[in-house]
Amino acid sequence: MSRGILAVGAYAPGSRVPADAFEDAWGRFDAPGIETKAVPDADEDALTMAVEAGRRALSAADRAGTGVEQLAFATTTPPLAEGDLTARLGSYLDVPADALRRTHTGSTRAGIDALLDAVGTDRTALVVASDCPEGEPDDSREHAAGAGAAAFLVGDDAPAIIGDRGSHADPRPGTRFRGRGNSDLDGLDIGTYDREAFIEPVEAAVGALDDDTVPEAVALQAPNGKLPYRTALDTDAIAAVETVSELGDTAAAGVPLSIATAFDAGHDETLAIGWGSGAGATAVRVEGTAPVEASLSAEDEIEYPAYLRRRGDIVGEKPDGGAAHVPVPTWRRAIAQRHRHESGLCPECGAVAFPPEGACPECHALVEFESVTPTLDGVVEAATTIGQGGAPPEFAEQTARQGSFGVAIVRFEAGNGEVSLPMQVVESAAVGDPVRAVPRRVYVEEGVPRYGLKALPR
Amino acid sequence: MRDAYVVGAGQSKYGSFPDESYRSLFETAVEHTVESVDDGINPEAIDEAYVGTLGVGGRQLGLAAPAVTEHVGISGVPVTRVENACAASGYAIRQAVMAVRSGMADVVLAGGVEVMTDLSGDAVRYWLGVSGETEWERMSGTTFAGVYAQMASAHMREHGTTAEQLSQVAVKNHENGSKNPKAHLGFSCTLEDAMNAPPVAEPLNLYHCCPTTDGAATALIVSEDVVSEYTDRPVRVAGVGAASDRVGLFQRDTYNAVPAAATAGERAYEEAGMTPEDLDFAEVHDCFAIAELMAYEDLGFCEVGAAGPYIASGATEPDGELPVNTSGGLKSKGHPIGATGAGQVVEAFDQLTGRAGDRQLDDPQVGLTHNVGGSGGAAVVHVFERADAPEGQA
Repeated sequence: MSRGILAVGAYAPGSRVPADAFEDAWGRFDAPGIETKAVPDADEDALTMAVEAGRRALSAADRAGTGVEQLAFATTTPPLAEGDLTARLGSYLDVPADALRRTHTGSTRAGIDALLDAVGTDRTALVVASDCPEGEPDDSREHAAGAGAAAFLVGDDAPAIIGDRGSHADPRPGTRFRGRGNSDLDGLDIGTYDREAFIEPVEAAVGALDDDTVPEAVALQAPNGKLPYRTALDTDAIAAVETVSELGDTAAAGVPLSIATAFDAGHDETLAIGWGSGAGATAVRVEGTAPVEASLSAEDEIEYPAYLRRRGDIVGEKPDGGAAHVPVPTWRRAIAQRHRHESGLCPECGAVAFPPEGACPECHALVEFESVTPTLDGVVEAATTIGQGGAPPEFAEQTARQGSFGVAIVRFEAGNGEVSLPMQVVESAAVGDPVRAVPRRVYVEEGVPRYGLKALPR
Repeated sequence: MRDAYVVGAGQSKYGSFPDESYRSLFETAVEHTVESVDDGINPEAIDEAYVGTLGVGGRQLGLAAPAVTEHVGISGVPVTRVENACAASGYAIRQAVMAVRSGMADVVLAGGVEVMTDLSGDAVRYWLGVSGETEWERMSGTTFAGVYAQMASAHMREHGTTAEQLSQVAVKNHENGSKNPKAHLGFSCTLEDAMNAPPVAEPLNLYHCCPTTDGAATALIVSEDVVSEYTDRPVRVAGVGAASDRVGLFQRDTYNAVPAAATAGERAYEEAGMTPEDLDFAEVHDCFAIAELMAYEDLGFCEVGAAGPYIASGATEPDGELPVNTSGGLKSKGHPIGATGAGQVVEAFDQLTGRAGDRQLDDPQVGLTHNVGGSGGAAVVHVFERADAPEGQA
């Protein structure tokens, strides 16, 4: 029985900010080896990107979330520092409530450690690494900070096997850290000390492998685009599968994204080395490749002011709440609708109801609806664009960061019927346009981020 | 079943009044209503009252109805608040008609009041969102303008309605409102003004949207048994129709019509024994320009899909075949939510009794009011006719 990776999903936001934009703004760019970096939309975060990657891994394996027995979420940037986000991640992906859950955080090697952890069990596991680090605007770590996510479906009879593995840890304080309660990365930037804190654990972890030969693909942690090449590892092998030059530092998702890239390129063997500040490293040899479904390409380029705006650095406080507040318990009652548009099939007349409660919209009978999940792809039936200042106040921060957004009624197929839903549109859409339901944050109220599905024009 | 009559109706000026309260505005409306009764009325004759209001300054008030009736000295009688969003006082009028027809009351005060401009724009949007489908529609990021904009997009797509036709609604209603001393935005505008206004929610721009307004309006509804005590030229409530529908637009079968309004209209016509051809004028709920165009179709003023050419033809101008919104409508006269339906009745009463001043139509006999809650979750239509006092009662 060969246990390992059954399939991989990878996702990065489509927007890129070029290094030149930082240079124009600051007179310098402090993240060598990075040409562009991926920028999450104002309503994206590590959780929504994780859903995107998870969806793709399941799709690449042609499996449903209902078959997942263990769910792991690895990130250094959880939207909430405390609060089990695997519940919401699992809800989006339709993972059973009794699946085991694991959260790996606090280190950029969390992604590769989560993978190893899952391989060590006998369950079908979905491992998702997703990250979007941040720093102060003039900090080198901020200049490097990118965004992306990768997910592995792990199980038996896998085409890609996790073989030899090695690990090393050694105290190296001050190299990269984030204090309790802070969202910005920090570091002491002590030249040689910092470099050695990366190089020595990485090389020691590789040295701990039974076989330390280096294949043509090395998926190595990349805090920036230069540090990986300071190690003694083969630079061509690192360059062959790196993503940092285009996506930026994707932290816990960095090595998983490089593994996805190696599989996509057909490398039969990949040496994957995750590094975390503090410092420690984990090296694993991956033999074979698995199917990959990835969305990593750039779609648009943004200027530096737009980048700051989208991060929320130059956005004021949102207005106070009011009478239209939807309480969290009310919100949670409909979580299957928020995350999966779960609708109801009327057993009397066959109509599809959304939300699936109350009387049937067609025959008006009070029935127990049968659950039906609409397709993710739909068509716009009615649409408008809400300009800045025209949105309800709970969306004021989003419009300040993102600008206008569309709102539409979208028709989806659901079972043998159809259902129409009101959705926010990423940017805008017109009547008749095809759209796809994607995970996005709706807003944060009372400190609680609320997630749903929005319509992305296709 | 006894007939019901309107013997008096009046309103405060609509607008933005930092120095007024919901009680003082209601007081002004009642004063004008009492003054409009030909032979006078002692408020002690009032048996019952219904007051429409959504909220006062966005605040939730319990007992808002007795709070305003006690202020005007109506005490001890049954008083009920009616809430059906923007159709609140249209339904309050209907409640009064029901009370009179049933025999439970002979003289009923019905109306509404709203104070909307003592809040920041953000707070108003928060508050107004409560009249829509809050859990899904609003959470997609829409205000009411957004919901009606989606209806406009569907109407334009389905029927070829144009932005110019939407703008013609604004031009007509502002011109009418410029002749109404009670109007909130009593100025004229050009088609160019209305076409080039800033966008609110595409395809709707600022001139396609009504304002938020402070104001109050009331009417006195009396039974056939007592009507002659108050006037010999009453306005008869010829037909009442009301209907409800799904609150969220996405839950309805159509996005380019308001089915509840169409049903309410059919019921009102049937009860009145009339058709749209019998109407001499109408006050319709033009919260957004597309709403007036949909009303033309829902109420049978024109064929379904023909509302754009219908407004363009001039048919709904004061000198057209069916003048619509001679008061200025919600667009120009204003939209104090809880007062709007009763305010439409004030215009109908004024037109049918020759009190409409510079905007008076030539001897109208039959008028219709059309009041919609939210984007169509509730609707009420009244048909009023000029009448003589019932035989044997004068």
